[in-house]
Formats: sequence, C-alpha cells, structure tokens
Amino acid sequence: MSWYVVTAREWRDLWLGGRGPILMFALSILLSAITYLAATNQILNYLEQREAVNLTLQVAVAVGALVTLVVSADAISGERERATLESLLLAPVSRRAIVLGKLTAAVSLWLGAFAVAVPYLWALGRGVSALVPAMVTGLVVGTLLAVGLSAVGLLISIRSKSNKVSVSVSLFLLLALFAPTQLPTPHGAFGVFLDRLNPVAAALHYLTTVVVNGRGWTHDLSYLASSLAVALVGVPTLMILAPRIVHLVAGDHR
Amino acid sequence: MEAVGLTKRYGGRTAVDEVSFSVSRGEVLGLLGPNGAGKTTAIRLLTTMLTPSSGQFRVAGVDCGKPNDIRRRIGVLPESAGYPEHHSGSEYLLYHARLFGLNRTDAAGTTERLLAEVGLADRASSAIATYSRGMRQRLGIARALVNDPAVVFFDEPTLGLDPAGQRQVLGIICDIAQRRGAAVVLSTHALTEVEDVCTSVLILRQGTVLAAGTVAEVIGTVAAQPTAQLRVPSDMIARAAESLASAPGLQLETTADTLRITLAPGGDGHVPDTNAVLRAVLDAAIPVLSFDLEGTRLSDAFLAMTSQEPR
Ligand SMILES: Nc1ncnc2c1ncn2[C@@H]1O[C@H](COP(=O)(O)OP(=O)(O)O)[C@@H](O)[C@H]1O
Ligand SMILES: [Mg+2]
Repeated sequence: MSWYVVTAREWRDLWLGGRGPILMFALSILLSAITYLAATNQILNYLEQREAVNLTLQVAVAVGALVTLVVSADAISGERERATLESLLLAPVSRRAIVLGKLTAAVSLWLGAFAVAVPYLWALGRGVSALVPAMVTGLVVGTLLAVGLSAVGLLISIRSKSNKVSVSVSLFLLLALFAPTQLPTPHGAFGVFLDRLNPVAAALHYLTTVVVNGRGWTHDLSYLASSLAVALVGVPTLMILAPRIVHLVAGDHR
Repeated sequence: MEAVGLTKRYGGRTAVDEVSFSVSRGEVLGLLGPNGAGKTTAIRLLTTMLTPSSGQFRVAGVDCGKPNDIRRRIGVLPESAGYPEHHSGSEYLLYHARLFGLNRTDAAGTTERLLAEVGLADRASSAIATYSRGMRQRLGIARALVNDPAVVFFDEPTLGLDPAGQRQVLGIICDIAQRRGAAVVLSTHALTEVEDVCTSVLILRQGTVLAAGTVAEVIGTVAAQPTAQLRVPSDMIARAAESLASAPGLQLETTADTLRITLAPGGDGHVPDTNAVLRAVLDAAIPVLSFDLEGTRLSDAFLAMTSQEPR
C-alpha cells in the first residue's frame, strides 16, 4: 500500500507542484513554432505532410526523453542535496516503492509531452491516411525510450555524490545519444550496426521509416531492439538493486 | 535500546569507534561532542541510515539485522533536515503518517493532534517555506512522532535556534520521554541547555567514548580542582584578597578586577566550603559583582575532556 502513497505524492509534486505544467507549457510553445513553420512550408510544398508529422513526433519524443531523464537524474541525488531524503528513507517504505514512484512520475512527463503534441499532430496531419497508426507508433517508441532513460537516470542519481554530477552526467549521455541523429545516415555494415546500437538514434530511425516511408510497423522492427533492451534491462536492474544501492550517503557500504 | 562495539569507517577514517551504551524507556541520553565527534554518524547507524562497519545494536527490542522493523518503531529528527517548501505543515505530516501505514482518517487525526502538541496548529495550512527555523524544527519533531515511536532520536535539535526556541524544543523533548515514555537519544555540541534534560550522557571525541554515565558521574570523572571566579569592583580587589588570606586551602590569583580562587583539598581531603569563601567576602562588606564556580558543571567536564589533544 505504501508504494501507492509514494507514487501518488510523486505525481502530485510533479504535476501540481509546478514543474510538470511549466515544462508542458514550454513544449507547447516550441510545437506551435514548429507547426507554424511546417504549415507554411507545406503551403510552399517544401515539406511533405508526413514529414511534418514525423518532425513534430520526433520533437515530442526528444523533449519527452530529455525532461524524463533530467527529472529522474534529480530524483534521488536532488532529495539528498535538499536534505529531504533522510526522512523519506526513515519511513518504512521499501526502496523499490520509492524508486518505482519516482520512475512512473518521471515517465508521466513523457506521456504529458505526447498529450500536448496530439493536437498539433492532428492539425498537421489532416488528410494523412495513416495518422493514427503513426501516432500510436510515436507513443510506443517514446514510452520505450522514456522508461529506459528514466531507469538509467535513476541509477545515475542513486550513485552520484552530488546532484550536479548526476544531472550533468545524464545530460551528457543524452547529448551523446542524440548527436548521431544529426549526422548523415551511416553507410556500411558497421555504421548501420552502430546506429542500431544507439537506442535513441535507432528508435527515431524506426519512427521515420513508419511515419514518412509508410513501411509496415514490422518492417524495421529490429531498430527497436536497443531501446527495448535498455528498458528491459534498466528497469529490472533498478528494481532488483534498489534495496541494496539506495542509501542516504551515495555508495555507503560496510 | 542497546549498542555494542558500534563502529563506522569511511575509508581510512574511523567516524565512530567501538561505541557501546544503552538507553531505557523514559530516559534521555545526551550524545555530546564537538563537531566531527561522530554524533550524526552514530545516530545514522542506529536509525539504519548507514551500515555499520562492525558492531551490534538493538533498537526497541529489534535486532539491527531487521532495519525495516526498526524503522517502524523509531522516530528521528535528522540533523539540518530539509522540508518540501511548497507543502503545508499538515500536508507534510499527513504524507508521513500515511507512509507509516495509517489510513486517511487516522492520519488526519494524528496530524491534527501532533501539530497542536508542537504548537503549530494555527500555521498548519501555511506553506513550510514561510516557517521560521524553530517552526521547522518543531514540525520535524512532530514528523518523528507520527508512528508513536518507542525510541526517538534528535540530532542537534536546538542548532540555530534562539534561547526561547531552544527552551521550547527541549521542553517538547522532555515531554516525549516523560509523558510518552519513549527512550530518547539527543545529540548536541551545545551543553548548557542539555544538562537539565538528559538523564545520562555519552561524551564522544573523534568517534571514541570519553565518558559515560549520569551527568553527576561524568562531572565526577573529571577530577579537576574546583575553582571559583570572584568579581568585585577593581578598587576592592586587594581588600577581597585580604579577607580570604587567613582561610586554609585557598590559592589566590588576582587580576584587575577578578580573584581566581582554587579550592585545594587540605591534608584530610576536606575541600574548603565555597559558601564560607563567599561569606567571608560579604562579611568584609565588599560588593560582589559575580561569583562563578567552575568544575561543577557538565560544560566544564566536557571542555576539560574534549580540549585535550587527541592521542
Ligand atoms: N560520508 C562521509 N564520508 C567520509 N567521512 C565522513 C562522512 N560523513 C562523516 N564523515 C566524517 O566522520 C566524522 C564524524 O562526523 P559526524 O558524525 O558528522 O560528526 P558530528 O555529528 O559529531 O559533528 C567526521 O570526521 C566527518 O568528517
Ligand atoms: Mg552532526
């Protein structure tokens, strides 16, 4: 029962305490700008409608991943720094429940980001035949990424001596994962392999093949392997290790 | 509660070294020591926030191998605890009561009762951001009591409070031991206010126990010769010294306006009576500005012990 109390509190803190709504507001301004640019480009016929939908989805996924990771990276080390962790750890709540509450709250930010993006996608994709499948694909891909990155961010936060270290390590990681998406598509077997290994780049590639190229959702499914692996390894690792690694002092041992 | 050979090492440094003691219900144990003595570390070990390097302890009858069961039975006010600034005092307490498994109704009842107990009822719905230091400290104490604990730990509860705030907090702590019958462990580096509250004390320096026992016992272990400081108007100092010159067992030392009197025991082990000293001065019609006895208070024993060079 205590997991429910912790989770409810984490969600409320995020969504009623201020951070969530502010981040969503910022995202909606960003999406408005992109939609405006995409729409005017469509009139000029530079940007195909499906590409505009893809761009908006990718921005939502990227922003969702970013805020989810940053909030996760702040979760434990931030409480440690604000001296509120001790009273939480003193309560007879399992460390798993604490971590789970924080993970789901962080992932809810991505879900919020997606919800904000829906009307924009609707506006941009009017008349596109496979708009709904495209949106569902975006939701699945983004959720996979958010869950995996949140687990990674929490692990970093748990092990970091300071909040600054935790947040900067996580941001650096995200930057390293996003950088390849801005590079030209790799050639050669090794390049493609690397591209699939990077969960962010591979997931966004998959999204493009489905939304823009109109391939079936099974066509490039192997591109989701790495993000699925991060989520499937990260979350259980976090849950299994939580009782042993979540401490008041980072890395406390005998 | 009982601890045996409790030890915590950080790399090469030993923060708490083979500390043993026990506290019973209704008692208040003062954990005293200068900064860095290991008080916070000792409390964090006992409250399961840190894993001991070695040693055993039982809290509220629960062995240290069952940290979850210990946490259910203890209340803790951590050193310099932080609070969620945008929550109100009652939201904060309600949340923690719920974390301890109380249902909504019981948690609300407990919250209301505790807020009244620590004198925060009228500010219950204000954001913690608007609370003074003393109010935060009292809110922290209320939080430590949500589970009606058998053992309560306070780490530097009076740190940074004004004298009125200190008295208020210490009053609440006394009540917790006396009326709730809890065993209380209280750490501090400021002693004077603790003397009246603690039933026993443990003096730590660099992680080791220098002295333990009741306040009187600890003072007794420091066999310093009692000294008195007598302050009189500066033109009277010579007359004051004169009036005491004939009394046996007194060593006198004069400065501009104070007379430092060491009360040396005579050959029969009899220590001169301080009252007699004071009376002799008064009889000589010398106005006494102040008369301080040293070596009879816990703070003197503490200073004498903790100021020695570390071995
Ligand atoms: N996380 C830590 N890592 C290394 N040393 C520590 C850590 N926490 C405390 N110490 C050391 O342990 C000693 C005792 O600290 P502490 O228990 O906080 O003392 P007190 O509460 O009596 O002021 C100090 O020398 C301090 O530097
Ligand atoms: Mg301390």
